[in-house]
Amino acid sequence: MEASATSVTGGRSALERSPAGRLPDRVLKWGLSALAALILILIIYFFIRLVGQSGHVFSTYGISFVFGNDWDVSRSIYHGGALLFGTIVTSIIALIIGVPIAVATAVFITELCPRRLRGSLSIVVDLLAAVPSVVYGLWGVFVLAPRLLPAEKWFASTFSFIPWIGGGIPTLYNYFIAGLILAIMILPIVSAISREVIATVPSENKEAALALGATRWEMIGMAVIPYSRSGIIGGAMLGMGRAIGETIAVVLVIGSAPKIGSHLFAQGYTLAAVIANEFGEATGIHTSALFAAGLVLFVLTLIVNMIARWFITRGSHGTRGTGATGMTIASGPAGEK
Amino acid sequence: MSATALPQISARRRRTDKVMRGLVLAATIVALIPLILIIYYLIHKGLSAWTQSGFFTTDPTGSFFGSPGGIRSAILGSLEIVALATVISIPIGIGVALYLTEYGKEGWFANTVRYFVDVMTGVPSIMFGLFVYIVLVVGRFGGSGFAAWKGAVAISLLMLPIVIRSSEVVLLLVPSSLREAALALGAQRWRVVFRVVLPTAGPGLLTGSLLAIARGMGETAPLLFTVSTAFGLTFSLNQQMNTMPFLIYNDITSPRAALQTIAWGTALTLVVVVLILNLVARFIASRSRMA
Amino acid sequence: MKPRPIALIATALVSALVVAACGSSNSSTSSAGGGAASSSSTSSGGSSSSSGSGTINGAGSTLAAPIYQQWGSTLKGQGLTVNFNPVGSGAGQTQLASATVDFAGSDPSLKPSDKSKMKGPVLQFPVAAGAITVSYNLSGVKSGLKLDGPTVAKIFQGTIKTWNDPAIKTLNPGMSLPSTNITVVHRSDSSGTTQGFTTWLSDVDPAWKSSVGEGKDVQWPTGTGGKGNSGVAAVVKQTAGAIGYVEQAYALENGFTYAAIKNSAGSYVLPTIPNTSAAFLGIKVPPDLGISTINSSNPGAYPIVSQTFLDAYKDPCKDGGTNSGTAAALKKFLTYAFGAGQQTLGAGSNQLPYAPVPSALADKDNTQLATMVCNGSPIS
Repeated sequence: MEASATSVTGGRSALERSPAGRLPDRVLKWGLSALAALILILIIYFFIRLVGQSGHVFSTYGISFVFGNDWDVSRSIYHGGALLFGTIVTSIIALIIGVPIAVATAVFITELCPRRLRGSLSIVVDLLAAVPSVVYGLWGVFVLAPRLLPAEKWFASTFSFIPWIGGGIPTLYNYFIAGLILAIMILPIVSAISREVIATVPSENKEAALALGATRWEMIGMAVIPYSRSGIIGGAMLGMGRAIGETIAVVLVIGSAPKIGSHLFAQGYTLAAVIANEFGEATGIHTSALFAAGLVLFVLTLIVNMIARWFITRGSHGTRGTGATGMTIASGPAGEK
Repeated sequence: MSATALPQISARRRRTDKVMRGLVLAATIVALIPLILIIYYLIHKGLSAWTQSGFFTTDPTGSFFGSPGGIRSAILGSLEIVALATVISIPIGIGVALYLTEYGKEGWFANTVRYFVDVMTGVPSIMFGLFVYIVLVVGRFGGSGFAAWKGAVAISLLMLPIVIRSSEVVLLLVPSSLREAALALGAQRWRVVFRVVLPTAGPGLLTGSLLAIARGMGETAPLLFTVSTAFGLTFSLNQQMNTMPFLIYNDITSPRAALQTIAWGTALTLVVVVLILNLVARFIASRSRMA
Repeated sequence: MKPRPIALIATALVSALVVAACGSSNSSTSSAGGGAASSSSTSSGGSSSSSGSGTINGAGSTLAAPIYQQWGSTLKGQGLTVNFNPVGSGAGQTQLASATVDFAGSDPSLKPSDKSKMKGPVLQFPVAAGAITVSYNLSGVKSGLKLDGPTVAKIFQGTIKTWNDPAIKTLNPGMSLPSTNITVVHRSDSSGTTQGFTTWLSDVDPAWKSSVGEGKDVQWPTGTGGKGNSGVAAVVKQTAGAIGYVEQAYALENGFTYAAIKNSAGSYVLPTIPNTSAAFLGIKVPPDLGISTINSSNPGAYPIVSQTFLDAYKDPCKDGGTNSGTAAALKKFLTYAFGAGQQTLGAGSNQLPYAPVPSALADKDNTQLATMVCNGSPIS
């Protein structure tokens, strides 16, 4: 370069820009900052309205809104205990059925599957996440529920000695069907996260196990699973968070009965489903009760997601949030809630 | 890990290995069964709707006993509402992500924004609809009760956190060396952003946006109490409008076989649209250097 | 190819502003009632304001939904778009109270507590009556089943659990009834059909009245819920041994078999159209037209007949927030409803299976409609 960097005119360096020239930079910076601030204000306003609308019912019932067991619209009594029960039970069913299968697919895809198939198989499993929730509902109502009813009846009568699981008379729509559909819906996210986490296992660990004479399965059990356990648990919890908030697929197959069901194949209700069903006709304290149900739902999801993130961060051993893992977590539970 | 060597592989261990590997394979196949079944039924029942005359070219008639009509107003309604939601959420989402990566970085304000955006991704989608209902619908804001643009606002609220987070991830992957090189050559900050950062991140941003749009198209809950429904075709954003997810949701509870067939046909249409968006997004991502 | 974000943001803001502007220009209703000045309610190539064309939105009764959907289909040819969302009478009333719809379909008449939730005086117009059938899904029993009030009440309370229960057998001597379990199906949403059905049950069975009572929503002792008349019909259709209360149009649409019910005069009556129309005879008509056709004293009448109303604000512009164009469209719809629309109801093969209102009542509807105003001035 030629001339010196020291200034010629007015005390500025030759490379420096005039104040007018830096205007676009300032506009951009302050414009984007304002945008971010606006979004933050919008989000906070959202929560303020949510809490505000719930206020009425909490001031009337206090905490017994959450745990009491009597949701009776006709008598204007609102305790959401049965709804909370349904939300938790269907999510647990989803976890019990969905997580082992999801982890198995993750193990298969990353460790056991022929290399050429890996990409296509991942895409196919992930495609489950693209199916909209209402389509799961459609399929559940017309295909899954009727087809499984005979099997449910057989199961309930054969295993009637197990409390709550067996012994009742299955109805067409029940906790189990809802939990099963939720299991299918959380499968892709749990599988994707498990795959990411398993892929971060250092090959030295795996090779060491193999070198010492372990079979393939033993290597997985010794090197892969323990290393990725935290991350997998985190993925499972993210799946649970998704299951908790799922509305449309559940409302179509849960049976809409605001009571604590007496067995696995009984009708039930969830916090999300009650909002979808009753909001259109709600007035006054009923509306407030539904917003409060949403608030409880949201708090539950928040807690579960926080726990999930803690596990995932612990489990990725320092490779947090970058690249593919980040993209997966960032795009969140794809599909609908 | 223990340093002692493992004994020779016994037949029992070999068997365990085979059995467990078989189980894992079986589980993977089980995982694929629902997808296969769903696609099978969608095609099996949906195609018979697709081949009905006028399925794509006529609107639902709403007549109780006569022909149920087609789904034209639902398809166009969905496209219009999601298009508006896209126009709202994608620029704003990328803008916020730009702020977070270029200016806010790890500051307290940026971290607060990140935290709240994270929290937003956990909100059940129906809550966005309720929020728009109490803020916009009840007060008849804009001269209308239920309206298509209000549904678009609800959907954009849902898409926004997804776009922000995925865009942030992609923008962070742009190598700082590129930025620094541009700055060293004398480019102004804003030029660096528009000429270097955004183009480099382009494919990734596009992928994230397409996935968000696919998500928005499939949503039902935010539409329930914001747009309601209509039978006939309308382009007016300030009116109630038909949408595919709403139509499916309504027709599922109908005992009328003809409407159930329409529901399957609409579901097939919706899934095809969403799948195409997903596959295009993946294709773009796989071709990008930063996937 | 890659649009600049700032340009996109600007476009977004501009489009949002344009949309809001289009919207808010419709909300000004303060101009003169004749309405040449105000823009039409539809911003898509909107037809002119005062000719009564345009779009009106309603929600509510699933019992009457087939009627409004059919009328909407017919009126579209006359330039009037009617969107009706069948969400149940309760939700319909709620939406009218929030003025998110222009009219509500409600089976029960408005109680004073309902009226107080509205933004202003509301007019209710009886437009039809529908028979609530007690439909069942029982192979082998295709017709001729007779039931009376107390038996139906016990079935819906869960006291009678199987089809071959002695109580049912006593009413149906000579009929062979299987031992299938009875699955009760009721409404899960706030429903005028439920109101009609439970009002009848309370009238004929004191035990029901004291334990469950009547209402749009009740605490059902047993059974599965379905959303809307169609939801109940769907569950009955899928479940062998199910019994549920569905409006006649839905029962006919699905080929259900339904029972003959004992009426107040002691005869077992099927819900034919003449028997449904008979429920209108001799009822009291209060000044606000809030009639009730349940458990009619007419000896030929089917006992579970529910009237259905169209509810709208007396001043939709002031209280409902609409403009004069929409008010004119609303008036046109209502005029049709108790005018030419009544021809579409009846027993004929092209008619919808509902009983039209007697002409004296239709006259009262018209008189009441003439009192509807927009911001104080009559609607053209």
